[in-house]
Amino acid sequence: MKKLRLYYEEHNKGPFKLLWKHFTQQHFAFFGFITLLLLLLLAVLTPFLTPHDPYLQNSQLLLVPPSWQNSGLVSYPLGTDDLGRDLMSRLMLGTSYTFGLAILAVLGSLIVGVILGALSGMSKGVKSSIFNHLLDLALTIPSLLLAIVIVAVLGPGLMNTIWAIMLALLPQFVHGVRNAIQQQLKQDYVTAYRLDGASQRQLLLFVIFPNIWEQLVLMFTMALSTAVLDIAALGFLSIGAQSPTAEWGSMIADSLDSIYLAPWTVALPGLMIFVTVLAVNLVGDGIRVAMKKRREN
Amino acid sequence: MKSSGSFAAVVLLSILSSACQPVLPTTRVHGLVYCAEGSPESFNPQLVTSGTTIDAISQHLYDRLLDIDPDSGTLIPGLAQSWQISDDGLTYRFQLRQDVKFHQTSYFSPSRVMNAEDVQFTFGRLLSVQHPFHQTATEYPYFDSVEWQQLVAKLTVTGPYEIEFTLSKPDSSFLSTLATDFAAILSAEYGAQLISNNTRADLDLLPVGTGPFLYRHYQKDVLIRYYRHPNYWRQLPAMEQLVIDIVPDNTKRIAKLLTHECDVAPIPRLAELSLLSKRDDFVIDAQTSMNVGYWAFNTRMPPFDQVKVRQALSYAINKSNILQAVYFGQAEPANSLLPPTSWAYDKNLNIQRYDPLLAKKLLAEAGYPEGFQMDIWAMPVQRLYNPNALKMAELIQADLAQIGVRAKIVSYEWNTFRRKLRLGEHDSVLIGWSADNADPDNFLRPLLSCAAAISGSNRANWCDENYDELIAKAVHTPILEERRAFYQQAQQYQAEQMPLVPIAHSKRFQVRSRNISGVRINPYGGINFTAAGKSL
Amino acid sequence: MMFHYLLRRLFLLSFVFVALTVFAFSLGYLFPGDVLGNFTGLRNISPAEEIVLRQQLGLDQSYWQQYIYFNQRILDGNWALSFSSQQNVLDEIINVMPATLELASYALLLSLIVGIPLGIVAAVRKDKWLDKLISGFALVGYSIPIFWWALLLIMVFSLTLGWLPTSGRLSVLYEIPAHSGFMLPDILLSNVPYREEALFDAIRHLLLPSLVLATYPTTVMIRFTRESMLDVLEQNYIKTARAKGLTRLQVLYTHGLRNALLPVTRQVGLQFSTLITLAMITEVIFSWPGIGRWLIDSIYQRNFPAIQGGLLVVSSLVIAVNMFTEILHTLLNPLARKF
Repeated sequence: MKKLRLYYEEHNKGPFKLLWKHFTQQHFAFFGFITLLLLLLLAVLTPFLTPHDPYLQNSQLLLVPPSWQNSGLVSYPLGTDDLGRDLMSRLMLGTSYTFGLAILAVLGSLIVGVILGALSGMSKGVKSSIFNHLLDLALTIPSLLLAIVIVAVLGPGLMNTIWAIMLALLPQFVHGVRNAIQQQLKQDYVTAYRLDGASQRQLLLFVIFPNIWEQLVLMFTMALSTAVLDIAALGFLSIGAQSPTAEWGSMIADSLDSIYLAPWTVALPGLMIFVTVLAVNLVGDGIRVAMKKRREN
Repeated sequence: MKSSGSFAAVVLLSILSSACQPVLPTTRVHGLVYCAEGSPESFNPQLVTSGTTIDAISQHLYDRLLDIDPDSGTLIPGLAQSWQISDDGLTYRFQLRQDVKFHQTSYFSPSRVMNAEDVQFTFGRLLSVQHPFHQTATEYPYFDSVEWQQLVAKLTVTGPYEIEFTLSKPDSSFLSTLATDFAAILSAEYGAQLISNNTRADLDLLPVGTGPFLYRHYQKDVLIRYYRHPNYWRQLPAMEQLVIDIVPDNTKRIAKLLTHECDVAPIPRLAELSLLSKRDDFVIDAQTSMNVGYWAFNTRMPPFDQVKVRQALSYAINKSNILQAVYFGQAEPANSLLPPTSWAYDKNLNIQRYDPLLAKKLLAEAGYPEGFQMDIWAMPVQRLYNPNALKMAELIQADLAQIGVRAKIVSYEWNTFRRKLRLGEHDSVLIGWSADNADPDNFLRPLLSCAAAISGSNRANWCDENYDELIAKAVHTPILEERRAFYQQAQQYQAEQMPLVPIAHSKRFQVRSRNISGVRINPYGGINFTAAGKSL
Repeated sequence: MMFHYLLRRLFLLSFVFVALTVFAFSLGYLFPGDVLGNFTGLRNISPAEEIVLRQQLGLDQSYWQQYIYFNQRILDGNWALSFSSQQNVLDEIINVMPATLELASYALLLSLIVGIPLGIVAAVRKDKWLDKLISGFALVGYSIPIFWWALLLIMVFSLTLGWLPTSGRLSVLYEIPAHSGFMLPDILLSNVPYREEALFDAIRHLLLPSLVLATYPTTVMIRFTRESMLDVLEQNYIKTARAKGLTRLQVLYTHGLRNALLPVTRQVGLQFSTLITLAMITEVIFSWPGIGRWLIDSIYQRNFPAIQGGLLVVSSLVIAVNMFTEILHTLLNPLARKF
């Protein structure tokens, strides 16, 4: 039943609702969002969903083609790899490695980045200036290069890769958070709170953060696509995840041997990476556009 | 903007023109490209045992006193025109050819033809500490494994083109040793030049030989470039240039074949062969090859010093599974180090069963009912005898888990791998051996004798007096039947002691473009391009 | 004021180089294995040699003193030996660097030639189908994993169609003497009988790697130019110019382009570092003998002196180029000057 309106009142939607409205109007972005949700679900639930053990070798079923081909089997919908492991199960498990670990790495980096960024954003002076200059420099070095540097020092391995990527993403978070905070500090309402006697901590927690979290989400999506690509790239170069780990990048590297006989073992993991990154980027772009539209209205 | 415009034009042009002529023959350079699976370790065959190095250097750069006929396996004259053996089997006298010229290169110009001095220089290096070049290398693995220093008592030049070897005991495999790719003849004159320039190490880096091709350029892990030797004493090679393109990656090697960047390439993965055989621009040459892929235990390392543990592990692995997954069914299962085509092969050997229950029982008897932890070292390169050691290691890992043995797979880059292997840091290793000559001694001695444990080719570090005695007795008798009996005993002893598990004997496959002809693969060693031709 | 700015940048640059050398120096200790071996690259050091070397490196003195010695060796070109080849690491780097620079510069050029016009077109035709097409293409190129893309291209153009070679810079049968290390100039300078043929072959070898390498920067360039152009088009001076009666094209050309492309100069510097990174992957796939492949190989081989030297050179280069384009950008664009 429609609410009875006695008086004319200006109906303002909340900023989040507005954002959501603008976001869902973009079909591609919304589609990306749904894909991401599904991937996330898959990453969490994968141990219960895989039709076969992703590491079980079956020498009777080497390089079985996907089931849409003539010699494919229904029980192995995406076929098997060169050790007879079910490719679908491995791809599903790969979601929690490549995508899941990327989310964890970005979250970890984001938390540290927010703390450091807040510290640097709220401070002034020479120390802050030197810190900022260094940060700007670190920003110019691509995260993959930084990750390779760090892996070169720590040695190859999936966990080292995650640490490396966390460290490599840190500068952009610190930078982003710092800039966002400093922008907010210039706003009139912040000055008003300050004049009201709010402490730095209160200012940060109750005034500034509620206003920058959307930017944080945006940064998160951008970093997430980088992290997925970096984890996969390091896995592909065999300096990240090591075989037999079902990480997408290292699955491609492992399957290169069979590229002529079983192109799907190379194509499918790559497709998964592509779809994931594309979905993340669609969502990121969607949020950006939505924010812009909201500002314009 | 002008330069970028022209760049775009060039790009466009080349896209269009390459669309018109898919395969571009390099018309101006008459050369052949052989894609090898690894860099050579040295340019002197005396210092190496690896089949890759031998393929890359020995048949192209060098000649030997004797050669092996690839078809019959018999010995034929090489640099030695003729030879006589004394009745007691101790003295071998060789008459040399008098028309053999050494390579003329940017770093050496020969002033004379090959003579007995060069032969003395070559083999003297292996023999005596006094030889000026003996100390420049730390070891001569092949010659150490055949105990050359103990075997050859004296080397005498009996004429300008005649030389005599005196042995300390009769050895029926001596001539075969001289015909291996390791017994390449070097130049004494070049040696003298290096001594006066004080650059002795160059003897093994910048080669001078008498072979059909001469050294031009080498870049590690990239390529070796040879030019035709214009004064070659046999029929001149048809190719002006021979390039060994070093492509360690199997997939890339096939890609290069498909795009005709390689003319000839060894393909250890038989799975791709079916793919290539469907295309009519390629020819596949299959050749039975004398090789064995095996899994060696470091018998100096507990618990592998216990026979029962080794036997247990040998029962635990599913060999037919490995043959299917790694060799794609194109290799023969191995029961002995010797391939079944060898005349000394023991047909009565028990076929190794897959029996995890027995394996568990043996482990319990050895005091490991709960299993243990071990490393499997998987070589990082693809070889004929083991086209994918990592995959094999993964299969073995899964098999071992069934009997409670927790295996970890270890791999390093190839040079590091071999260095660490020589230091004996491994628990067990997946590796193999390609024979250098048809003699069974060439398998049994370098792989398991005590001398080889020191020189490094015995990866099991196994040293057993009984075994050494058997193979020593075998070479001391000239009677074939007796030799065979000794070798069969040695094989049975090995199967019982199980210092290593023989896994497979693989065929050798070589793929070439159809326009290449005359490539010869020697079953006992390197590939030879002397007679190779290329039609456009 | 300008002088002041440059001085400050220079100070920052030298500070960064100090930080880099400190990092490279500390790697000698951070890497597993023997410190002496890590710093010299020598293997199997005999006890007698060890005493001499320890003295030379100052290993018995303070870290500070060791660091000074380390810098001296860097400046003298007396770098460590590579574990695998036992050659001076600096020589090896000088050997492989041109291949990477050559590939990266062609890719950069390609990304500018393709990316900027497309970005402008997309901005001008905002929300029309052409914009959507270009932006969609950019998003796809932005999201595709470069190694997978490279493999797809190889499968189509090399293996299926057989048009283009898959690896290396030149067919191995051609022998071109190296002057500069850059393949195309070297071929043009050489006087081999097969010069045209070799040039053609070199370009065929370049096509796929530079296409792969250019993909990501091109899409970044498209997105960046589009954003930048849109920003400019919303400015008041554009509206004023339109109001004064200039045509769209005139406005675009006289007011829009210059202002929109200024930030792009800064982007070129940033792209350079991305290119060097992506070149590592591209080089591994196409067996391109550049520093990326060399560095990755060194990581596989645990070749610590090579990793140390390689990182020092690559990061110095990346930072120097970045700093340079930033200064250039500031000089060209008065708005970016924050004196």
